[in-house]
Amino acid sequence: MSVGFIGAGQLAFALARGFTAAGILAAHKITASSPDTDLPTVSGLRKMGVNFTVSNKDTVKSSDVLFLAVKPPIIPFILEEVGPDIEARHIVVSCAAGVTISSIEKKLSTFCPTPKVIRCMTNTPVIVREGATVYATGTHADVEDGKLLEQLMASVGFCTEVEEDLIDAVTGLSGSGPAYAFTALDALADGGVKMGLPRRLAVRLGAQALLGAAKMLLESEQHPGQLKDNVCSPGGATIHALHFLESGGFRSLLINAVEASCIRTRELQHLADQEKISPAAIKKTLLDKVKLESPSLSVASASKVSLFTNKSKKN
Amino acid sequence: GKVPASNILASAPSDKNLDAWRELGCRTTHCNLEVVHRSTLVFLATKPHILPGVLQEIRPAVGSHHIVVSLVAGVTIQTLQRLLPPWTKVLRIMPNLPCVVQAGAMVFSRGSNAGDEEAALLKSLLSSCGLCEEVPESYIDIHTGLSGSGVAYVYLFAEALAEGAVKMGMPGALASRIAAQTLLGAAKMLLETGEHPAKLRGDVCTPGGTTIYALHQLEKGALRATVMDAVEAATNRACDMAKD
Repeated sequence: MSVGFIGAGQLAFALARGFTAAGILAAHKITASSPDTDLPTVSGLRKMGVNFTVSNKDTVKSSDVLFLAVKPPIIPFILEEVGPDIEARHIVVSCAAGVTISSIEKKLSTFCPTPKVIRCMTNTPVIVREGATVYATGTHADVEDGKLLEQLMASVGFCTEVEEDLIDAVTGLSGSGPAYAFTALDALADGGVKMGLPRRLAVRLGAQALLGAAKMLLESEQHPGQLKDNVCSPGGATIHALHFLESGGFRSLLINAVEASCIRTRELQHLADQEKISPAAIKKTLLDKVKLESPSLSVASASKVSLFTNKSKKN
Repeated sequence: GKVPASNILASAPSDKNLDAWRELGCRTTHCNLEVVHRSTLVFLATKPHILPGVLQEIRPAVGSHHIVVSLVAGVTIQTLQRLLPPWTKVLRIMPNLPCVVQAGAMVFSRGSNAGDEEAALLKSLLSSCGLCEEVPESYIDIHTGLSGSGVAYVYLFAEALAEGAVKMGMPGALASRIAAQTLLGAAKMLLETGEHPAKLRGDVCTPGGTTIYALHQLEKGALRATVMDAVEAATNRACDMAKD
């Protein structure tokens, strides 16, 4: 089995690193492409032994499982570009937040009658094989296709199938989740430093504390509330600290965060569905390159860009 | 039904409250000493500032057969033992209001001369009024903050629940009854299942449902911290008052 990544950024790098470390895929069976060769992740991928190319078409041709690992606004451009090369054998896996299966299927169906599409939401810790991934299968993806993806993603962490309508919530929770954790860890380390610990040690201990707590929860039958109680001796240090967290509305802040990320994901999806994306969302170099490769795709100079106009139908 | 009413003697300076006792079938008197003379188990249930005077008064009649149980807020076992004869068996108890409906929460501690027998007697007697547990004396102020005053927090919460319902269009009397029943039912489930409240809370929360939306509001209002603050404030006040 060979795997391809359209896009050679953080996500492609993280997944490639994870798959190779897990031994589920050899580096030379992985291809990644991007027009931008200056990305730091590009040299990282090359060092791994991954085949790197500037041609997205080459990636498609040499892959069975094709990951779309570009930012959501770029997806339509990519689909337009590689659509003609998609065959029935390909499993197209989109990792783009807020991009629906139906929008991808709609786009690809002009090139291929029954495109196999799977939508997935993962997160960056796949890089250390502790990712959290969910996927939803499209109209023409079989059970085996889903299982194949599940096998791949399970090698780099937790993976389970869900209904597509839950994916936005997953984005808010575990997609963005590592960022919440990094923020918390930064602050915890600050607390340690304030109380006298050297920074490096503070970071190390903070990270280990969260790692250990997460591991305990995953391996325990107990409710996190119970596990919390187990740490809080009457009148002790921990309960004093927790009181501060509660006073600051810690819990509600986290609920707010998950909610905000989920809602924003839906907003972006809605914008995409309306086929109105501001060019500012797309890097200028990328836009120029796409214009060069697809002269038929017109880019309006007004503030809105229509991305789904099907030029092949226009006569 | 632990003790026949005729075996209970209550004293007070005026008749104001004694009628209620007589209605229950208890005997009454205006003489504190009489109570001590005619009882083995003597409950001290005066207001704190009255107690020293009362103890002076009954001191001569207190013997080693007596069991003196103080319900007086803020008066420590040390103080009680200081004001009573050195052989006195003293216990200190902190009840709460729902003892009245046999759903109270009480904690008690023993003084130096009170032994297992006295503790067991008290516990067995008071279990008829609700939950009764022996604790170190240092927990008594905490119990005040948690459960003594805690009853008032619950009344406040019940009132607010009902008000929310009234705002949404329900008549007040009905809302109040439902609010109370909700609290009763939830508390009963907690006590009977022995499950962690967080688990029971999670069980009620369907994904994307009404409950989780409401809980989010409660968390935004930092309800948890506020309640912790309340328990802390009441406990600290109890400690301060005891020092006076």
